[in-house]
Amino acid sequence: MIDVIVIGGGPAGLSAANTCARNGLQVLVLDEFMKPGGRLLGQLHEEPDGEWWNGIKEASVLASNADNLGVDVKLGVSVHNLQSDKGNWIVFTNKGKFRSTNLLLATGAAETPLPLPGWTLPGVMSIGAAQVMTNVHRVKVGEKGVIVGMNILSFAIMRELRLAGIQVDQVLLPPRNELSTESSNPLKIIDDLSEAAHLAPGFIMKWGAKLMRVKALRKIGLSFYPSNGFKIWDVPIQLKQAVVEILGDKKVEGVKVVKLNTKGDPIPGAEKIVEADFVCIAGGLYPLVELAAISGCPFHYIPELGGHIPLHNERMETPVDGLYVSGNITGIESAKIAMAQGVVAGLSISQKVTKRIKLEEMTKAIEHVHDVRAKSIIQFHPDIQKGRKKIEKLWNHYYQEKKQTKIPSIENSI
Amino acid sequence: MRENQTVVCRCEEVTLEELLKTIQTYKCSSRELKLRTRAGMGVCGGRTCRASLDHLISQKEGINPTDSIPLKYQPPIRPITFKNLGDI
Repeated sequence: MIDVIVIGGGPAGLSAANTCARNGLQVLVLDEFMKPGGRLLGQLHEEPDGEWWNGIKEASVLASNADNLGVDVKLGVSVHNLQSDKGNWIVFTNKGKFRSTNLLLATGAAETPLPLPGWTLPGVMSIGAAQVMTNVHRVKVGEKGVIVGMNILSFAIMRELRLAGIQVDQVLLPPRNELSTESSNPLKIIDDLSEAAHLAPGFIMKWGAKLMRVKALRKIGLSFYPSNGFKIWDVPIQLKQAVVEILGDKKVEGVKVVKLNTKGDPIPGAEKIVEADFVCIAGGLYPLVELAAISGCPFHYIPELGGHIPLHNERMETPVDGLYVSGNITGIESAKIAMAQGVVAGLSISQKVTKRIKLEEMTKAIEHVHDVRAKSIIQFHPDIQKGRKKIEKLWNHYYQEKKQTKIPSIENSI
Repeated sequence: MRENQTVVCRCEEVTLEELLKTIQTYKCSSRELKLRTRAGMGVCGGRTCRASLDHLISQKEGINPTDSIPLKYQPPIRPITFKNLGDI
């Protein structure tokens, strides 16, 4: 009998699987992709201390540990449904049904779209797709392109494209229209990014200081922001220019760009065409919660964590018996945090099965998540800590109510 | 290209114009918008346009996001063959 099925073979899922296997559990990992590692496979960036974070290397360490520990990793498997049956989970996939007593959802995140005219042309892709093409498949996405959307992820991947010898001409804002969110508001972007610069001076030292100066002047709008932007890694960042349309006949040939005034409004008539053969759209990430929703787990809307989040505690337990979560499904953060959360989830599941996990070990693993978060160089949301506190409070509230109504609450207390 | 001709749901090719007209006529929820236009009902299961549909409704109808997920997830959450469907 399988003790736990882990859905998602990324940093969170593999770390959890390895932790469970080290404690003697029978583990099955299911992943849709043909390689293990999830989004780790795309990652390549420089740490503040000058060391490089090579996601492919991290993924191969996790995968070879899994192999040595006897974890069964099945690739190319898509889960399309879940059912709970007398204390067992049934997982429905394109390769048949699997059963286990425990289930860990480590399905990660999906990209938020930014629909704009022309975005269905060949040559337009999400920034995450450009990352996978470049770093996983080693396919050049184009000769010269632009990125629409400014956030930590788009800047990190912009650098990866440049390292691969692909020319990113400039980074531009998305248009302000019925569909645009805060991602089209240059003042909000300055706030978010300068906050990130404050938290992570090493990673974004080069442009962090520039943003801080802009932030100091934000009361008077974008008056002092250079019309042609400032450069990060030699790429102009255009906080006063937005893409209003992607142009091309059968494929991308360029983008129509409009200049914005100091309030971020378009200046009529101030349009120009920028030539490009590819366009990356960077709208940010949201937790991929499909399976958690099907499982019947309660949800809460927590914008700081990226949207709707399955209720969970710091031990990565949910109120649903035998259901655990870890990684970006619990909130958008870096791979290092996903790995640390995976260990916690692995310990919780192991405790449920073996009752042999020491409280000290669990406490240490949870503290490690906090440590990694405090030192994290990539903050996707400036208020991530606030979001984490919110979900903790909601869990305690839920648990208290359950106690009062004497409904059997989740067991597994250490 | 006119902005309102922007395709929002790529699987079912539903334009912004169609969505805005439907919202204006029926003052609807995200779910009703989905059922009336088929936006979000294609092969990707709404993974791409769900955020845009929710955003349009919250902008137009002034409905702020709540704890319940506006567009329900239901199995199968991935396209599957009839053979696999028989297994459910």
